[in-house]
Amino acid sequence: MRRLVWAAALVVGVAPALAAQGSTGELLAQAHQFYERLDVERALPLLRQIVSPNWPFEVTPDQRVDAYKYLGACLALAGKRDSAVLYFRAAIERDPFTELDPSLFTPAQLATFDEARHRTLAVAVRSVKPARVDPRTARVTFTVVATHAALVDVKLVAVGAASPLVLFQGTMDGVREIAWDGLLANRRLAPPGRYTLAVVGRSRVSGAADSARVYFDVRHEVAALEDTVPDLDQHQLLPEWISPEAARRDVAKGVGVAAAALLIAGAANGSLHGSERGGADVVAATAAVTGVVAFLVHRRHGAIPENVAANARHRAQRDSANAGVRARNADRIAATVLLVSPAAGEGTGP
Amino acid sequence: MMIAMIAGAIWGGVAPATAQSALTVAPLVSLAEHRVDAGFGVERSLGPVVGGVGTLRFGPRLAVAVRALGGSLFGSKGVLDRDVGELGVEGSMVAGPWLSLQAGVARRAYATRVARQTWTTVAAGAAARVAFAGGAIHGVGRAALLPVVSVPGLPDPGVAFRAAAGLEYRIRGTTLGVEYSLERYDFPIEGGVRRLEQLTALTLLLRLRPQ
Repeated sequence: MRRLVWAAALVVGVAPALAAQGSTGELLAQAHQFYERLDVERALPLLRQIVSPNWPFEVTPDQRVDAYKYLGACLALAGKRDSAVLYFRAAIERDPFTELDPSLFTPAQLATFDEARHRTLAVAVRSVKPARVDPRTARVTFTVVATHAALVDVKLVAVGAASPLVLFQGTMDGVREIAWDGLLANRRLAPPGRYTLAVVGRSRVSGAADSARVYFDVRHEVAALEDTVPDLDQHQLLPEWISPEAARRDVAKGVGVAAAALLIAGAANGSLHGSERGGADVVAATAAVTGVVAFLVHRRHGAIPENVAANARHRAQRDSANAGVRARNADRIAATVLLVSPAAGEGTGP
Repeated sequence: MMIAMIAGAIWGGVAPATAQSALTVAPLVSLAEHRVDAGFGVERSLGPVVGGVGTLRFGPRLAVAVRALGGSLFGSKGVLDRDVGELGVEGSMVAGPWLSLQAGVARRAYATRVARQTWTTVAAGAAARVAFAGGAIHGVGRAALLPVVSVPGLPDPGVAFRAAAGLEYRIRGTTLGVEYSLERYDFPIEGGVRRLEQLTALTLLLRLRPQ
């Protein structure tokens, strides 16, 4: 039972909104039919109802612009030029991209519409459509309009940034497409973030000014980058210098080898009258001299050329690997694709 | 007939574990002294031995060396001259930064103008290498027990070991080694006689890396 009550309430609440849109749309369609039958006298009241503040139903911006446009067209057909201009201007002010299709409207209507555009300065920019753009081969396209001849500045700026990029500066009349190569004023690829496209126009006819702006987000689509090889720390490098302690230990090592040789000779069987000790003495003396000489040499010239060379090779290999990584990463960055999507307000960006 | 290729084996061992090349060859020359007491007093002979060691590395830890040596030992007063030769195979496994374990088998022959004697030995031991500062010089020590010593007509010796100490100097791709080594065999008393044998050698070795 409770569900039934809720359902009824939902139907009662939603129905008027749906009906409102339906009512406006139906009325507009009916007006179009009257207009196409040149039954202007019956179309006008319907269109006036739609733009009236007393119209109780919801009217979308496009419906309102359409209603104003057909009001102007009807009045132009009826020979009421001033009123027609007035309604055309109302349509143009609400949507500067408003046009009359020359194949559907008479030359008189078109002339009246042109007069309305001539009297009204409005600039606008179409909201940015989601796009995936490779800056190397394609461009991001913005569509701007000035309703009549005007000096127009079109600037692109990252939200929060100071220096804008001027995309267009000059006289414009009507719709114009402006291409952006994805680069900023510093000729670098636009970093990810939120951007504003601002259009400012000053009429060359009346001196009136108007402005408009849209926001959009830019993201980068780039292949995953490789990490460079980290710096070599001390544990990865061989010692390049012999410490004084190590040099001193050489003496002990030499003595140790000498002692080992003499000890081995001492292990000869006594019943065989020992052994020929000359060989052991030679090795022992050589080892002792080696230890002392190594100590003296290393104390004066402590560098270890082999280790220095090995470390240099190690560093060169690392540098070479990093150069390769950087080159591959540069290629990937150069192939960055811009993902453009519309945004609302300044915000913080993606 | 002179058996030139058969001489006493004095020096043994595989190439150092730190060798970089997969294959190394090392010609060597030794001054060897052989002493034996078979119940007729100490017989002493001394002479040069030449030969070589070829070492093949299998990875950073394992190496196999084959050696072939030969020379003539000239007897002292009243002692027969003898030729000596040896063929041996030895494996080496690195057990630590300075230690490697070694095991091998060798066949040695002594020949005089009146008799010939063949020895078969199995050795197991270790080699230690101590680097001097800079790493171009190494002190080398070796010790091995010979648990199997087979000599026709003789019992197994109660004591059989080999020990050596020396130095290696690495100059670019070449290593010069000098080593003193001793082998001792104490056979058990048999028929009231105790046979003792000993071989010592001073060896110079030049280890080369083929290109």
